[in-house]
Amino acid sequence: MTGESWLTTTFDRLEEWAQTRSFWPLPFGTACCAIEFMGVVSSHYDVARFGYEVVRFSPRQSDVLIVAGTITDKMGPVLKKIYDQMPDPKWVISMGACACSGGFYRAYHVMQGIDEIIPVDVYVPGCPPSPEGLIYGILQLKERVMREKGKHGGAKEKQTAAEEEHAHSGAA
Amino acid sequence: MSEPIPGEPTLSAAAQPPQAGAQPVPEHPRAPKPYKYTWADRLYLPLLQGLVVTARHFFKNLVKSKYTISYPEERRPYSGRYRGHHILTTRPDGSVRCVACFLCATNCPAECIHIEAAEQPDVNIEKYPVVYEIDMLRCVFCGYCVDACPEEAIIMSRNTDMAYFTREQSIVGKAQLMKPFTVDVERLGYRPYYPEEDRQRAQMRREAFDLVSAARGDA
Amino acid sequence: MPTLAPPEPLLEKHAAKITPQEGLDQPCWIVDRSVLREVCEDLKTNPETRFDLLLECFGMDYPEREPRFEAVYHLYSIPHGKRLRLKVPLPENDPTVPSLLPVWKAADWFEREMWDHFGFRAEGHPDLRRILCHEAFQGHPLRKDYDPARRWICTEKDIYKPKLEPPPQQDDMFERMTINIGPSHPAMHGTFRLTAVLDGEVIVASDIEIGYLHRCFDKMSETHTWNQVIPYTDRLNYCSAFINNVGYCRVVEKMLGVEAPPKAVWARTILSEFSRIMDHCVCNGTTLVDTGGITNFWYMFQPREEIYGLLEACFGGRLTVSGCRIGGLLADLPPDFMARSRRLLEIIPAFVDDMEKLVDHNRIWLDRSVGIAAISGDDAVNWGWTGPCLRASGVAYDVRKAFPYDLYDTVDWEVPVFYGGDVHDRYRVRMAEIRQSLRIIEQLLDRGIPEGPFIVDDPHVALPPKDKAYNQMEAMIYHFKLIMDGVQVPAGERYGMVEGGNGELGFYCVSDGSAKPYRVRVRPPCFPIFSTFNQLILGHTVSDAVISLGGLNVIAGELER
Repeated sequence: MTGESWLTTTFDRLEEWAQTRSFWPLPFGTACCAIEFMGVVSSHYDVARFGYEVVRFSPRQSDVLIVAGTITDKMGPVLKKIYDQMPDPKWVISMGACACSGGFYRAYHVMQGIDEIIPVDVYVPGCPPSPEGLIYGILQLKERVMREKGKHGGAKEKQTAAEEEHAHSGAA
Repeated sequence: MSEPIPGEPTLSAAAQPPQAGAQPVPEHPRAPKPYKYTWADRLYLPLLQGLVVTARHFFKNLVKSKYTISYPEERRPYSGRYRGHHILTTRPDGSVRCVACFLCATNCPAECIHIEAAEQPDVNIEKYPVVYEIDMLRCVFCGYCVDACPEEAIIMSRNTDMAYFTREQSIVGKAQLMKPFTVDVERLGYRPYYPEEDRQRAQMRREAFDLVSAARGDA
Repeated sequence: MPTLAPPEPLLEKHAAKITPQEGLDQPCWIVDRSVLREVCEDLKTNPETRFDLLLECFGMDYPEREPRFEAVYHLYSIPHGKRLRLKVPLPENDPTVPSLLPVWKAADWFEREMWDHFGFRAEGHPDLRRILCHEAFQGHPLRKDYDPARRWICTEKDIYKPKLEPPPQQDDMFERMTINIGPSHPAMHGTFRLTAVLDGEVIVASDIEIGYLHRCFDKMSETHTWNQVIPYTDRLNYCSAFINNVGYCRVVEKMLGVEAPPKAVWARTILSEFSRIMDHCVCNGTTLVDTGGITNFWYMFQPREEIYGLLEACFGGRLTVSGCRIGGLLADLPPDFMARSRRLLEIIPAFVDDMEKLVDHNRIWLDRSVGIAAISGDDAVNWGWTGPCLRASGVAYDVRKAFPYDLYDTVDWEVPVFYGGDVHDRYRVRMAEIRQSLRIIEQLLDRGIPEGPFIVDDPHVALPPKDKAYNQMEAMIYHFKLIMDGVQVPAGERYGMVEGGNGELGFYCVSDGSAKPYRVRVRPPCFPIFSTFNQLILGHTVSDAVISLGGLNVIAGELER
């Protein structure tokens, strides 16, 4: 069956419903934002109410890469490898000023934003963002995924063919 | 600690009344002396006490957790000093209070404020910012801009609901910063504090200025 | 100004090569590098001096003078309570210095850091390579001629490949495996890379790599004004951010010759103790998570959230507070400060009691933690340890008792010490310290809030109060000058220390008289502690290694600055 029919659109809606209510985060926590992320999963803010409590530290088993904390030039290859190892569909939330743009570290060892190496879906500002800010960011991601119906791999631009080829070499 | 462990020194011998200057540190034993198990420890008996603790927490929070805040329906009540989203305050006629003195941009450790000044026809005000942008992704929400402002033109709110999809969206301009300004004190956050009577004096100063500018027929 | 004259035998042998430097905050000798090793060995073994703790060594760069470089060593004698600074001038064309690794093992990583940041070659160091910057980095970033924003790209092929030398294998039946744990790993707290050679489950060789969070604090503090450095200090030990602020502001205040008013000192002491409680709560909670006891993590994060409520009511920030300014606090205390603090004193002991009931006599925890990663007091001091980890090995050194500052010598409290040196005793020290901190806070709250201003009244140091700045011309001018020019700290140098969550947190500030610091060097307490990690886990299993890391409370922000 090709093309849209009531069966495939219903199936797409069901898939999107399931996906948006069960983002399994991979908290790539390096610095202070990781402590606020721990606050989000703790009982005071409890992200489990939304279905996102299954925190998996393995890229093979998670959907959302939450980069919480400063990413330095040394950590860059590691982050890229983790991102490449995540299977589609995957999304990236950049949490905190350092991950979004380098923050106030205009320095010789700090990456000025993770979008130098990986595409980002939602930027959550703050230093660190309050847990409510982070949950707001995750809910914005949910809205965005629901809006971009049927596009696997999230709402980011598709990688070029060369990038796609390179992406799988890291996973070998 | 719940109870002292028998036969083990629990507090240092240096628990003497404080003396001026350096307190002598007693000689330490040469080899480590680890914890000695009691007979109750060996039989796993204290685990029952632990089960009582977790059961107590479980039943107390079974119907509704007394700790969890159900965001976004409920919000944590932040204080009136919370450093959230910035606000550019306005005068009664709707123009920004900011006089483009660049003190906030200078004091900012992240250099995230970008201002372009232009001349203001009123001789008492002289300048105003034609462009006032804050790069929200660089901002570390330290409040140094609020500390630096001599006009109370930039303050912060308690709002932390911010998320952007692109880098371009995150550079907030003058219009977006002026929008949340409200006289509702419950929504305002970090702003200059001073005793109530001086606040009244400052308020009178502002009202007088506004009256004067209204009388002159300034826009 | 205190001076410590070199002992007679030393002076006789090397008279021309040791020059005491007068007029500083602590005794200082300028030592020629040819006699450095001998002088240090003598200082360590001589019973009159017994400098058994090497606090740190770092570099300084003075491009206008000859010799250009200087290696600075901070020594401390625990038995005598005396401090000493050694400065070793090094010429630009040959910045080599003899390695002090045979004397103090703490020198291991500090000398690698000197090589990384300044290019000082430590002769005799077995493994001198970069520690904080990545392998593809070129240049030495803390030299004055290095552009702060010049970055180098690190790609996957530049990642360091550890050279491990496991002891020879006894039999050929089993294969040894080399595994890589981290840097993105939950047990590694995000940013450490452990490469281990395993014989079954037992680690026979390991190599730890750090630097994944090197955020260039030293260089950033050279490019910002004295007050603007305060948000950077927050992010050092981010679990107890306020203590870093206090430490830094105290040093700068001493350099300026101002004293924070009593209200600020009182509030700083109380909030530092609350921050210490937060830090220990997180450390113990996450250590237990590493063993599988996740319940304690939930229980220990609740006191943290409650303390956040107090910090946020005072200063507006939950975690990165920037609560101090040079001269005092950022704002006056809120009217409900006493009520909030008293409420915290009721809530926190309940959670700590719960955790103790769950863990203290739990045989599962005891089996996993007693005797693991044990280190004796002597070894710990040789490796440069301070703080709760040192006190778990029997050495009762606490900066708050040895060099009392703020109000610590006016309240009745004790330093908890245990003698096992293992993971269990580090856990117990932290729990006991939480109790002592609560005791300190209660006594201070009973005294009531002191009257007076919250910041010093000197317009060259602190911003004038806003009501004056809005209405008076003179105050407005001072406000303007302070923001535009910054606080002008007189030329000089000073080392000040506070008891951080992990040990002696020292700040060495050097000023050249201008508005920007010449150098702000942080003595990170967990840096020498973590350098011992390879030795600690030898012969233990991987799961023991994970718990040991948790028990050491290594905070990456402070470790790698």
